[in-house]
Amino acid sequence: MDVDTGNMTQTNLVDKVVVPGDVVLDLTKMENQTIKLGSGLHQDCDYISVMQAGKLRLSKPNKYWVESSQKRYVPRLEDTVLGIVVEHRSDNFLVDIKAPNLAFLPVLAFEGGTRRNIPKFETGTLIYARVVKANGIMNPELSCTDASGKAAEFGQLKNGYMFETSTGLARMLLSSPTCPVLEALGKKISFETAVGLNGRVWVNASSPDDVILVSNAIMRSEFLSGTQQRIMAEKLLERLQKS
Amino acid sequence: MEQRWANTSRLTINEKQFIEEALRSEIRVDGRRLYDYRRLTIKFGREDGSSEVQLGETHVMAFVTGQLMQPYRDRPNEGTLAIFTEFSPMADPSFEPGRPGEAAIELGRVIDRGLRESRAVDMESLCVVAGKSVWAIRVDLHIIDNGGNLIDAANIAALAALSTFRRPECSVGGDDNQEIIVHDPEVRDPIPLTIHHFPIAVTFAFFQEGNTLVIDPHYKEEAVSGVRMTVTVNSNGDVCTIQKAGGEGILSGDVMRCLRIASLKASEMTTKIKEAVETYNAEVALKKVKRHPSLIAKKITVPDVEMKEASFQKTKELSADMENSPNQTSTSLTTTKDRDTNASIGRPLNWDPYSSSAPAIVSSSTLPELVGTSKDANEDQMMQTDEEYDPNLKKDQIASATGVSSGIHKQNSPPKSLKDAVKPKHKRKKNAERGAR
Repeated sequence: MDVDTGNMTQTNLVDKVVVPGDVVLDLTKMENQTIKLGSGLHQDCDYISVMQAGKLRLSKPNKYWVESSQKRYVPRLEDTVLGIVVEHRSDNFLVDIKAPNLAFLPVLAFEGGTRRNIPKFETGTLIYARVVKANGIMNPELSCTDASGKAAEFGQLKNGYMFETSTGLARMLLSSPTCPVLEALGKKISFETAVGLNGRVWVNASSPDDVILVSNAIMRSEFLSGTQQRIMAEKLLERLQKS
Repeated sequence: MEQRWANTSRLTINEKQFIEEALRSEIRVDGRRLYDYRRLTIKFGREDGSSEVQLGETHVMAFVTGQLMQPYRDRPNEGTLAIFTEFSPMADPSFEPGRPGEAAIELGRVIDRGLRESRAVDMESLCVVAGKSVWAIRVDLHIIDNGGNLIDAANIAALAALSTFRRPECSVGGDDNQEIIVHDPEVRDPIPLTIHHFPIAVTFAFFQEGNTLVIDPHYKEEAVSGVRMTVTVNSNGDVCTIQKAGGEGILSGDVMRCLRIASLKASEMTTKIKEAVETYNAEVALKKVKRHPSLIAKKITVPDVEMKEASFQKTKELSADMENSPNQTSTSLTTTKDRDTNASIGRPLNWDPYSSSAPAIVSSSTLPELVGTSKDANEDQMMQTDEEYDPNLKKDQIASATGVSSGIHKQNSPPKSLKDAVKPKHKRKKNAERGAR
């Protein structure tokens, strides 16, 4: 593998699109430093190379990771996801979270859950849950409580409309400061959203018009910059005379 | 079994309720009105008879091929038309490779009835020797992406592909006058199929016990609605097929309403398909005409005007026909040889309509070269013949490099009909020269 000139102490590939095989850092050229590697990067003896296509990001002073976007989801610990109940087994709900395997949601993993008050979820129920176990091969496990056992907004989502997006868009919607499209829409419409890191978004508002407006605006904002998102949202709102 | 469960796409209760509630106020989830189609894009491929249609997110490709075969016993003087469908597993998680499922068979049958049983394609002209040899036309439909309403999209793709399909010309000859000679496409132009009318399929989805109906349902609407009906009508108002498979019943009044709406939509759709086919045909004709060597010499002053005029015209997307590699090599050969014999090919040079459009052809020949292979050979020739022209050419090349297909496309409209009239003559002339050498 050739080492190209991009391997100085600070890589010049930050914020650029990288593909698997790109060498990001050459550790032999760096003095005693601690580098923290996030997702998408892998250490190959003395080189740090990219394993996943995406944009390379750096958080000063020393955190590197690759941001990528897919249509399917790879479960990770402590991610909040939106799942659809597929079946009810004796001690688990089988939930689809767009991962290679179905996830298990224990029937007792709810606030104050006992054998007597098991929730009745039929097939097709939308659930907001947290991933508590995620190995490569085994089925992931979910929970509808936070770490301390409280409900904390987890559980069934009623009414509203759910649509699927890529994982990259879901992450953008959850970024702070608030994503520009949500901000621009929020100024004129009141709505609530639940965003799952597995690429599912749920939107609820008082009238179907608003829900459709918000969901279409979000779907269109994936590849737009901040200003473009604001302009797009404003145009949509104007067209439907919400101002 | 769990693996299969993990892969199918599902509908939540929330979506089902929401879609129905929105339809009660006559709004659809993607912002369309009840009787609106999604955005339609028709593209054509490299070979004659291949098309690619995108209707919103639904993506379908069609390929038409022909073969000489024995006719059926009961119809000895008619060709045959067969439709084959392939539902690729990448289109939808529920599509499996191997045997076609129910939906695939239904789609194939509806399109087959619309095209074959309504006699849209003329079968008798496909007969070569009655009782012995006829053309068997085969339409292959590949579903690439299932975004809902596959039947409509596949039908449009089949019609577009059939309109641009060309079969080789054949004649009966030989020693005993029974031998069939299939002429090479280079020697004799291949012939298009005769299509009498365009049967357009329009699919309706019914909600809330038939109170609301929508056209062109997308994936989620299809899953939510219990009832779906497809009617195939043409722009003359003839009903070719009606297909309603399963689900709740529909009132006969609703069926009539659907037929009326469908005939309106059919005329719109027919115009769209015909426009796309015509633009593609004009472009192909332009490319063929550019083979004539003398045209490359005659490209002096008009090009600027041609380009500007053409650039104001807006047309649909087409993908450029990339048959240029053989074309270019043949052009370069003939140009070097014919440079001396330019005088003998003087006819087009004196022909006014031609000279004004010659630069357009030349420029269009340079555009594909940007993407194609033998760029340098042709560019060199251009340099030799006229040097003033080059800066203009280069500018256009750069400007159109980003949008090759739209660029080529822009130059089509002005000389369209003349090109078609001129083309056959040029071909024969060229062959005569070749023969003479």
